[in-house]
Amino acid sequence: MVDPIYIFVIVLGLAFLLSLFDKLSRNLSLFLFFLALASFVYISGSWFISLLSGKEELIIFTAGFKPPVSINLKMGLIEAFFTSLTNFLGLLSAIYLFRKFRAEAVYSLILYLMIIMGINGLIMTRDLFNLFVFLEITSIATYSMIGISSDLKSLTAGFKYMIAGGIASVFLLIGTIYLYRSSGTLNIDSMISSVGLLTTKTGIIALFLVIIAIMIELKPFPANGWALDVYQSVNSGVVAIIASGISAAMLFVLFKLTPLMNENLLTAVAGIGLATFFFSNLLALKQENPKRLLGYSSIGQIGLIMTVYVVLIKAGFIRDSQIVWLISGGLFLNHFLAKAGLFWLAGIIKKEKLSDWASLRTSPILLFAFGTFIFALIGLPPFPGFFAKWQLVMTLAAKGMIFWIVIILLGSFLEAIYLLRWLGKVLKREFQEKFAIHFSRILPIIIFMLLILVLGAYYSTLIFAGNNLNILYLPMLFVFLLFILDFLPVWIKNTLTIAATACYSYLIFPQLAGYKNIFGVIFLIGGVLLLIPGYIKKGKRMGFYPFVAMMYAGLAGLLISKTTLQLFTSWEIMTLGSYILIIRGKKSEPHALSYMLFSVGGAFAMLLGFGLLFSVNGNSLALDSLANVSQAVGTIYLLLGLGFLTKMASIGLHIWLPGAHGEAETDVSPMVSAILLKAGMFGMIILMSAIHSAKIGFVSLPYSLGWLGAITVFLGNLMAIYQEDAKRLLAYSSVGNLGYVLFGLALMTHLGWLTSITYALNHFLFKALLFLAIGGVVMRVKTKNMYEMGGLIKKMPLSFISVLIGIIALSGVPPLSGFAGKWMIYNVVLEKGWYFQGLVVIIGGLIAFLYCFRLIYAVFLGQLKDNHRQVKEAPIALLIPQYIMIFAIMLFSVYPGFILQPVGDFLKELFPQGALIWNEGSAFTQFGYWNGGLIFMITGGIFAIFFLLLFFLNRKAQKVKQFNIVYAAERPSRPELTHVGYNFFAHYKKALGSLSQPYVTKFWDTMSDLFHSSGDFVRRLYTGNGQTYILHILLFVLAVYYITFGG
Amino acid sequence: MLLITIFGFALIFIGIWGMLTQKNIIKMIIGFSIVDTGIHLVILSIGFRKEGTAPIIDATLSKAEAVSRAIDPIPSALVLTAIVIGLAVTALMLVYAFKMYEKKGSLQIKDFKELKW
Amino acid sequence: MVRKIFLFIILILFLYMIFPLISEFKILSQIPDLAKYYLEKGPDELGSANLVTSVIVSYRGLDTLGEVTVLFIATAGIGFLLRKKSRISLTPNRKASEILRTGSAFLLPIIFLYGIFIFTHGHLTPGGGFQGGVIIASGILLLMLAEISWKMNYLILHWVESLSGFFYVIIGLLGIFLAAGFLDNRLLPLGDFGRLFSAGAIPFIYSFVGLKVGSELVGILTKLQR
Repeated sequence: MVDPIYIFVIVLGLAFLLSLFDKLSRNLSLFLFFLALASFVYISGSWFISLLSGKEELIIFTAGFKPPVSINLKMGLIEAFFTSLTNFLGLLSAIYLFRKFRAEAVYSLILYLMIIMGINGLIMTRDLFNLFVFLEITSIATYSMIGISSDLKSLTAGFKYMIAGGIASVFLLIGTIYLYRSSGTLNIDSMISSVGLLTTKTGIIALFLVIIAIMIELKPFPANGWALDVYQSVNSGVVAIIASGISAAMLFVLFKLTPLMNENLLTAVAGIGLATFFFSNLLALKQENPKRLLGYSSIGQIGLIMTVYVVLIKAGFIRDSQIVWLISGGLFLNHFLAKAGLFWLAGIIKKEKLSDWASLRTSPILLFAFGTFIFALIGLPPFPGFFAKWQLVMTLAAKGMIFWIVIILLGSFLEAIYLLRWLGKVLKREFQEKFAIHFSRILPIIIFMLLILVLGAYYSTLIFAGNNLNILYLPMLFVFLLFILDFLPVWIKNTLTIAATACYSYLIFPQLAGYKNIFGVIFLIGGVLLLIPGYIKKGKRMGFYPFVAMMYAGLAGLLISKTTLQLFTSWEIMTLGSYILIIRGKKSEPHALSYMLFSVGGAFAMLLGFGLLFSVNGNSLALDSLANVSQAVGTIYLLLGLGFLTKMASIGLHIWLPGAHGEAETDVSPMVSAILLKAGMFGMIILMSAIHSAKIGFVSLPYSLGWLGAITVFLGNLMAIYQEDAKRLLAYSSVGNLGYVLFGLALMTHLGWLTSITYALNHFLFKALLFLAIGGVVMRVKTKNMYEMGGLIKKMPLSFISVLIGIIALSGVPPLSGFAGKWMIYNVVLEKGWYFQGLVVIIGGLIAFLYCFRLIYAVFLGQLKDNHRQVKEAPIALLIPQYIMIFAIMLFSVYPGFILQPVGDFLKELFPQGALIWNEGSAFTQFGYWNGGLIFMITGGIFAIFFLLLFFLNRKAQKVKQFNIVYAAERPSRPELTHVGYNFFAHYKKALGSLSQPYVTKFWDTMSDLFHSSGDFVRRLYTGNGQTYILHILLFVLAVYYITFGG
Repeated sequence: MLLITIFGFALIFIGIWGMLTQKNIIKMIIGFSIVDTGIHLVILSIGFRKEGTAPIIDATLSKAEAVSRAIDPIPSALVLTAIVIGLAVTALMLVYAFKMYEKKGSLQIKDFKELKW
Repeated sequence: MVRKIFLFIILILFLYMIFPLISEFKILSQIPDLAKYYLEKGPDELGSANLVTSVIVSYRGLDTLGEVTVLFIATAGIGFLLRKKSRISLTPNRKASEILRTGSAFLLPIIFLYGIFIFTHGHLTPGGGFQGGVIIASGILLLMLAEISWKMNYLILHWVESLSGFFYVIIGLLGIFLAAGFLDNRLLPLGDFGRLFSAGAIPFIYSFVGLKVGSELVGILTKLQR
C-alpha cells in the first residue's frame, strides 16, 4: 500500500522539475505527466479496494506530530472513494486533452497536475486552514488553466470566476480565523469535539462564514452567474474537471463539515440546495447553448446532492451508513460520470446550438454515449440515478418528508424537459457538417459510458437485494447483446428478437395466472406477431431492435413484478424503449417529446404514490400490500392512477397520443397502440383490484374514473371523425377505445371488468389489424391523407378485407367480437344504474361508426387516383400477422366463451356477484342472453342474402367514369376538395365543434408557457456583468444569514 | 489591540465598497487587495495578548517565560500564508485584466457581457 | 445614486452581521492550549528559537509547502496566460536616471546579502524564507528598473526555481524515512539551540524556500516585463 502523501510528493517533485525535463523532450515530460496521473489512480484506487475489504483507515501525520499540533490527512473509505474517482477523471480528462497538451506550453501540464493535487488535498485534509490552502491551490491553478483557450469569452469568464472565488476565500479566511479564536484549534476533528464552539455569537458567525464560502464554491442559486459563464466558455476538458472533479471535492468538503453544523445551518444548506436544484432547472428551460445548458444542469445536480445528503442526516441517518451513501453516492456518481462525459462530448461537437448536435448521428458510438448520459441524468433505469432516486423517495416518504420529495421530483421533471428536448433535436434535426474524431478524445467518453452502465448494474444488485433479481436481468442482457450486434442486417436481428421473445414468453408464461394470462397474450404473443412486419425493412435499421427488446422486456417485467420496485423499474424500461421507437417516425420529434414528458411526469406521480404506500404499510415493497392500505388511500389511488392513466391516454392526459401513434413507423404504430396502451390498463387493474373504493374529500375516485372513461369515449371518438390523416384517425380512436376500458373497470363489477378485459384483447386484435393494414396502404401510396386515396379496393383487396373486419370488430356490429363487448356494456350499465354515463358511452359508440365508415370509404371505395394506378398489394410480411389476427377475431366471435369463461372464473374471486351464467355457448345475465356462435351464423346468413342480391342486381349497373361528377354548388379550388371524403363530417363540426376544441392542448400549452416564460424571466438576473455577480453573492450571503439566524 | 481589528474590518469594507462601485477592472482589483490587507490585519489581531511580545526566544525572552509572555504564534504563521496567496491571486487578476484589455481595448467591467442568461 | 444607497444598505447589513466578531472581541490574557504547546514544547522539540518559524516550517509545514506551491502556480499561470506575445508594447524608451543606475549598482550586492541572511537565519530572528526571497526579488526589480535593456538569464532562473522547489520536497520526503513524518525537520540533529546550524533541517528548508520564492517572484516580474 503506497502512502497517499506520495501523491503530493510526486506532483510537487515532478511539477517543480517538469519544465527542465520539457527542455529535453516534450515526449519525456508528457510521459512523466501521464505516469504521475496513472500513479494517483493506482494509489487511491488500491486504497479504495483494500479499505472496502476491511482494512483500517489511514491517518497521515505530517511533521511527525499528532493533531491538533500538526496538520493531518485522512484516507478513509469515503476519502478513497472520492480521490479514486477524481483521480480517474483526472487521468481521462488528461487523455482527452492529450492533443492540446502536446501543442501547448509545459505550464499547462504543471497547472493540470496542480488542480488534481489540490482536489486530493481538499478531500484528504482534516485541517481547516490547510483546506483553505488546498482550495487556493485548486482555484489558482484552475484560473490559470482556463487560459488554455485564450479567447475573450473564456478570459471574461475566468475573471468573473476569480472575483467570485476571491470573495469566497475572504469569507473562508475570516471564518477560519474566528473559528480558531473560538475553539483554539484548526483541526476539524478537534473542532467537532470542542464543546461550546457554537455557544458564542462569534463561533456561529465564523462557522456560517466558512460554510457559506464553501457554498459559494458550490455555485448556489442565485449567486452563480459566474459559474455558468465558466461552464459555457471554458475548454471542455477543463470544464469536465471543474464540473465533476472540483465540484466533487467541494461537495466532500461540505460533507466533512456537516458534523460542525447545528440544525439551523443544516436546514439552510438543504434549503439552498433545493432552491438551486429547482431554479437551475427552471432557468435552463429556455437555454439554447449546449454547454451553458449543461452548466445549469450541473449546478442543479450539485444542489440536489447537497440537499439529499443533508436532508438524510437531518432525518437521523448516520453519516457513514449504507443508505446515505447508496442514495447520495448514487446521485453523485450519476452526475459525476454523465456530466463529465457530456462536457467531453461538447468539446468534440463544438457547436453553439442544441440542434446542431444532430451531427452526433454520424457516430453511432458517440450517439449511444450521449443517449446513455442523458437518460442517466433524467434518472431512468438501468442507471445509478434511477435506483438512488427510488431509494431516496422511499426513504424520505418513510420519514414523512413529502414536501422534499415533491420539490425534488418537480425539479427533476423540469430537467427531463430540456434534456429530452435536446435528445429529440439530436435524433431528428438536419445537420450539415461532420466533426473530427480523434481516438484520444473518444476513449474517455466510452470509458465513462461503460462505467455508468456497470455501476447501474451494480446499483441494481444493491437495491434489489432481497428481491427477485432475475426478472429483468435476462431480458436486459439480451438488449445489451442487441446493441453489440446492431451492425447485422435487419432480418437476422428481427429473427433473433422474435426467437428471444418467444423463448422468454415460454419461460414466464407458467408464472402467470388470472388476468395476467390475458396480458401475457397481448404483451408477448402479440409482441411476436407484431415483430413479423419488421421483415419489410431493408438494410440495418440501426438502433431499432435493442429498444424494441427493451420495451418488451419492460412489458414482460410488469407481468411478473411482485414488488413496487420491480413494477416501477419495468415500467421505466418500457417507457425508455418505447420513446426511442416512437421518435423514429419522420415527424415525431415534438410528439415523442410530449409522450415522454407525460410518461416521466406520470412516472413521478407513481413514484410518489409508491413512496406513500411504502410509508403507510410498514415499509413493505410488496405489490400485494396495496390491498391492505388503510391510510392515505385516496392520495395513493390518485397518484398511482395518474401515472397509469398517462399511459392509457385518458382525456386530459391524451394529447401526446395522436401524434406519437400517428407519426410512428408502419410497424411501430401497432406496437405502441395495440400493446403499449395496455400497460396503463394493466397498472389500473393492479390498482383497482387492490383498492376497491377510495375517496378524496367526498369524491369517490372510481366513480370519477367512470365519468372520465365515458367522456374519453365520447371525445376521443368525436375527435377521430375530423381527422384527415388515416393513422391519426386510428390514434384518436384508440383514445376512445381505451375510454371503454376505463369505463368498464370503473364500474367495479364482475361484468364491467369482464367487458374491459375482453375488450382489451379485442382492441389489441382490431387495432393492430387496422394499423397494419392502413400502414401497408400508407406505405404503398406514400401519403397518410385519406383525401389523397380512394378506390384502392381493386389494388389492395387483402388490405381492404383486413380493414373491413377491423372496423366491424371496432364498431361493435354483430357478428364480430366487438358486439359481445357492447352487449355486456348495456347489461352492466343497467345493472349498475349509471344511466347518464352509459348514455355518453353509447353515443360515443355511435360516433365510432362515422369514422369507421369514413376509413373504409375514403381509402378503399370511390375512384382510384390517377397516380395510384400502379399500386401493389401490401407486402406479405404485413399481411401474415393481419390474417392471423382476423382468424383470432373470428374464433373469438364464434366461441366467445373460450376467453370469457376463464376470465369470468378468476374475476369471481374479486367480484363474486353478477357473473355471467353459461349454458351451451350462451351467456345469461339478469337482462337477457347472448350466443356468439348463433349470432355469427344469423348475421352471416343475412349478409350472404344481401350480398347475393347485390351481386345479381349489380350486373345491370352502369359504371360511372372518373370525371363524371357534378359538384353541387361548390367549385373545387384546392385539389383535396375533389375528394368527397375531404372534410367529410364538416356538418358535425358545425354542430358539435365546440366539444372538440383543443382545450386540453391549450391547457398544457399554457402550463408549459408558464414555466418557460418564468424561467426566461428569472434568468435575466444573470446580466453578464461581473460586478453584479459580486452583488449577487453578497445578497445571497445576507439573505441566507438573516433567514437562518433571523438577525 | 481591538483597534487593529476594527481597522482591519474597516479596510475590508472599504475594499468591498470599491469592488462594488468602481467600474474599472484595475480599481476593482485594488479593492480586492485592500480587502486582503484588511483580512491580514484581522488575522494578526487575533493572536495578540496583553503585554505580549514576539515569540522568538533570545536574550529578552527565555524559554521558560515564553508561555506566559509570548503572543500566539499561529496567527502569525497563518497570515504569512494568507499574504502569499493574496499576492498570487492579485497577480493573476492583473494578468487577466491585462489580457482582457488586450482583447477588447477596454477595462470597463460592463463591457464584458458577452456571456449572460 | 439609488444604487449607491442600496449598496450602502447592504454593507450596513453586513456590518451588522459580523458585528459580534468585533463586539465580542476581547484581548486574550490566556492564549489557547495549542499555542501554549507550541511555545512550551516548540523550542525543545524542534530547536528553533523563532517559534513562528517552527510553526511555519514544521508543525504546519504542509501549509507552507502549499503556499510555495501557490506561488509556483501563480508563476506558471502567468507564464501560461502570457505565453503568446502581446500586441501592446509597454516598454518605455527612456533610459533610467543616473541616480537610479548608480544607486542600484551599489545597493544590489547588499540587498542580496541581506536577503540571504534573512532566510538562513529564519529560525533565529524574525524573518525567513519568504521574507528573504522577497528581498532578493526586490533587488532584481531594482536592477530591472535601472537597466531597462537588462534581461534575466532564464536558464539560471529556471534551474534555481526548479531545483530549490525539488529539494524542498526531497527534504520533506526524507522526513518520512529519517524522522517521524513528511516535512519533519528532525531528520538532521537539532544542534545547539540558538546557533546558525541548529533546528534540524529548518535552515535548509528555509534556504530553499527563500530561493524558490525569490526565483518565483523574479519569474513573475520577468514575465510581466515582457
